[in-house]
Amino acid sequence: MTKPVLALQHITKQFGHGHTAVKALTDANFEVAPGQFVAIIGPSGSGKSTFLTIAAGLQTPTNGQVLLNGTELATQSEKARLAYRFNEIGFILQSSNLIPFLTVTEQLKLVDKMAKRPFQKDKAKTLLAELALSEVVDAYPNELSGGERQRVAIVRALYNDPSVILADEPTASLDTPRSIDVVERLAKEAHQHQKAIVMVTHDQRLIGNCDVVYRIEDGVMTRQ
Amino acid sequence: MYLGLKEMRHEKLRYTLLSGVLLLIALVVFMLAGLANGLSNGNRQAVDTWQAQTVYLNKNANQTLSASQLKLADKSKLTGNQVAPLATLAGTLRTTSNSKKTTTNALATSRNSFLMPKIVSGHAINGKNQILISAGLKAKGYKIGQKVRLGTTTKTVKIVGTYATNTYMISPTVYTDIATLNRLKGAPITSGKQQTINGFVTKKSQFKTSHHGDLEKISINTFINKLPGYSAEQLTLNTMIYFLFVIALAIIGIFMFVLTLQKQPLFGVLKVQGIGTKHILAALLTQSVAMALIGIVLGLGITVGLAQLMPAGMPFVINWSQYGLYSLALLIAAVLGALLSWRTVANIDPAVAIG
Repeated sequence: MTKPVLALQHITKQFGHGHTAVKALTDANFEVAPGQFVAIIGPSGSGKSTFLTIAAGLQTPTNGQVLLNGTELATQSEKARLAYRFNEIGFILQSSNLIPFLTVTEQLKLVDKMAKRPFQKDKAKTLLAELALSEVVDAYPNELSGGERQRVAIVRALYNDPSVILADEPTASLDTPRSIDVVERLAKEAHQHQKAIVMVTHDQRLIGNCDVVYRIEDGVMTRQ
Repeated sequence: MYLGLKEMRHEKLRYTLLSGVLLLIALVVFMLAGLANGLSNGNRQAVDTWQAQTVYLNKNANQTLSASQLKLADKSKLTGNQVAPLATLAGTLRTTSNSKKTTTNALATSRNSFLMPKIVSGHAINGKNQILISAGLKAKGYKIGQKVRLGTTTKTVKIVGTYATNTYMISPTVYTDIATLNRLKGAPITSGKQQTINGFVTKKSQFKTSHHGDLEKISINTFINKLPGYSAEQLTLNTMIYFLFVIALAIIGIFMFVLTLQKQPLFGVLKVQGIGTKHILAALLTQSVAMALIGIVLGLGITVGLAQLMPAGMPFVINWSQYGLYSLALLIAAVLGALLSWRTVANIDPAVAIG
């Protein structure tokens, strides 16, 4: 197997102190390599969100290491972690991480503006076509269907060429056929673009397309 | 920039309304400033045209010209090359038939003094009972060669010349010589060095000795500030303007703060994606500066437009350098207002966007 892009080693996250302490994650180990589509499945309250926030560098673990391309995240400054999130991680969030006042194309333009580079028109066109969004490039998020919105979020995540894509319940607001469509597309993108994609979900039906499945329950993570 | 402007484009109503509020504030600032300038100018225009440095008044007059009484002979206590005696009479200019009456301020000085205005038409005063009128009076229909009455006496004087628009304490001015004014006042002495006057206006001068009797030397600025009502008027209007800057700051600050609270989830999502406090704040700043600019530019436009429509009697003077300064103050208020949300933006925890 190729070297992992993102690895979490012996991660423990504890909230509070003394006898009110709650362990959200206990000695969790995880890794994902380029081209892999990994699912993390567990009921709500199992520690999935904690896992994601730690993997994204939004929270520091109580113990353990988060390695992105071999660099440890916890030791980085806030600013470096912000840059890391921008450059190396693509996010697909529960409802939608689209900006309500930008059209589909502008969501992508914003990424280029932030990176201080010209708009990559061809890349945008190709990705949007790949996810069947060519017809809605000038639409605002509120004019899109739920499935379209999540597909735009996928395009936006891919567009910046991140090392890892973290998807937090990307199908939460979708019906079953649309959920399956979105997950199939994620799997396809992972394999086609050699991206590491991590999907957190509670929906058992969606893990058929995943290369690796981790199960998480009461803060304990096990590889299936 | 990009984020801020795109949001304004999408939320037109919201940002148009706030720009409108800022426009109204800017408009009131510019209107008040114009009126303050107009009133100031109306009060002091005559004084400004003198281009004098110092004024000598009776020390018991509380630095007020009309309350001061001196004699022409007091000039001997002063040394300097341009020392002009000045006497005033707030009087009604009226035609001999009483068909036209205008409140004026008559100013008298010696015939060859530097205070005498530059003649536009007619000639300078060269004999008894002659007066010069300012353009405002000419516009009202007073003509060169016309015999008129000034003050309450039945004595007539003749208009011999006119000069540019000129006002003193809001009324148009009339110039004459000391003796004529004293005759109009009905003073007991109407010739020679013992005639009463109100003060001396000079460019460069000083007291000859430390014994200078009742004379008091004041700067021209003090003199202007002591014009009856002048300081009170200016202070009132300027205080209103300064309050408006604070109001502009508060409105932008509150509005941006409420919007920021409303958009916290969105800002959280942005932060998750690596678009940090700096960029979010830049967007807020862009928006408030853009709204302030829209308000200021339209406010200036409307002010200039209204200035054309104002009745002639309304003292209104546009001073562009002052408007520039006030525009800058409004912009700074907008920037500060947006910065009030800094802490709130900085404290948004991106983790809330997940889970």
